[in-house]
Amino acid sequence: MDKVLYLAMSGARENMRSQHAHSNNLANVNTTGFKTDLAQARAMPVYGEGLPSRVYAMSERPATDIASGVLTPTGRDLDVAIEGDGWFAVINANGEEVYTRSGEFAINEQNQLVTVGGVPVMGNGGIPITLPAFEKLDIGGDGTITVQPLGEGPEALAVVDRIKLVNPEPGTLFKGTDSFMRTGNPVPLPPANDVKVVSGFLETSNVNSVSELTSIISLSRQYEMQVKMMKTAEENSTAAARILQLQ
Amino acid sequence: MNSALFVAKTGLSAQDTSLRVISNNLANVSTVGFKRDRAVFEDLMYQTQRQPGAESAEGSQLPSGLQLGTGVRVVGTQKLFQEGSIENTGDAFDVAINGRRGFFPVTLPTGETGYTRHGQWQINSDNELVTAEGFLLQPGITLPAEVQTLTIGQDGQVTVVTAGNTAAQNIGQIQLADFVNPAGLEAIGQNMFLETNASGAPILNNPGEGGTGALLQGSLEGSNVNAVEELVNLITTQRAYEVNSKVISTADEMLSFVTQQL
Repeated sequence: MDKVLYLAMSGARENMRSQHAHSNNLANVNTTGFKTDLAQARAMPVYGEGLPSRVYAMSERPATDIASGVLTPTGRDLDVAIEGDGWFAVINANGEEVYTRSGEFAINEQNQLVTVGGVPVMGNGGIPITLPAFEKLDIGGDGTITVQPLGEGPEALAVVDRIKLVNPEPGTLFKGTDSFMRTGNPVPLPPANDVKVVSGFLETSNVNSVSELTSIISLSRQYEMQVKMMKTAEENSTAAARILQLQ
Repeated sequence: MNSALFVAKTGLSAQDTSLRVISNNLANVSTVGFKRDRAVFEDLMYQTQRQPGAESAEGSQLPSGLQLGTGVRVVGTQKLFQEGSIENTGDAFDVAINGRRGFFPVTLPTGETGYTRHGQWQINSDNELVTAEGFLLQPGITLPAEVQTLTIGQDGQVTVVTAGNTAAQNIGQIQLADFVNPAGLEAIGQNMFLETNASGAPILNNPGEGGTGALLQGSLEGSNVNAVEELVNLITTQRAYEVNSKVISTADEMLSFVTQQL
């Protein structure tokens, strides 16, 4: 069979995968703290007998765009956003320390500070943050949690813990299958003191819907082009078969 | 089939749920003591199509893999307990809680205790204080006959002056229930909340004590829905819906092109 058919097919398949990645970004255009996944195509030459003239396309996710989303005010004490660089440390279902920018926190039955997905938030001491019964809670600019215990006056303010904030080198974090960021190294990152948080705000998704939509449309046109190539390959093959019939 | 179709579908249904939450908030923009909700989004799991670090050929590795997300979902709704604005009505039976914490305990027809911020009290045929739905305030307050003035103090003391009697008479004490985690309460409609494991057990206090708000007679607490904010959310939700539907139509065009051309 004509090799162009397989080349065009691989192009179309990888276009579809890339489109899947972009559509996931668009589906999360309103998800708090979501970070856009980048998608790129790479040329994969085929080596073998004869000239290495065939080049297959391959889609891959080289990285995640960690640019900051917009901080929007919500007025809720347990909503926290990070200003500038940095990440919240949380403990995923496997007990690993992973990182997120989504600071939409809540309190669970065990009085732990958790993300909306129910994952405990890590304290600076390396253990999940447990809060006493409180009347008023305040999260400071460096993640320090101060509470006014239940039934006590404002003179009894107590510092409970500090949310573990990290600031790794750019490019060292990647997104895992549970959508949290991680280093891939079992050693947890050290807490960073220079990360600034603001309470009463949430960070929006950093998805740029215009550029994502443009990518989707351009991928769709590329896909049509690949299909056209397949059609041409078929026509060539039919023409060749007809010539053979004449002889 | 084109996987982008299914991803965009999760986007559409999540925005649809969000729209429902927003429209419920807007519908209750004038409901006394209403607390608004917020839809909380979460991205779904990722599928590894190509493992980073896998051998692409002998001696060479893929520097980055391909992990594709599977969309978005609404993981839950969150009640936001910010205080609504307090409006003066002048009606002696209207009582607002001036502070973020505290709920009036009310006996529901099922025998359970419901908790409400709605302080628009009325009297039933037995002269007892009831909600607009006729649910009894807990502990019950029964007014004597021929009440001339009813006074509900900031600390919940209820006093009345009856006809032919100049001395004020104390007839009861209104208590407020507080919860460790009010966000864990279950909203059941009719302005009522129920206790859950997440909210913790109710702690009863006299108004103004233990962090609860003081009572304010002759006032009502408005809904905490901010119409402008909700309308902005409505617009962003609508646009997110539109881009996701655009993805569906694009994915569909791709499929139709294949079926027609090949």
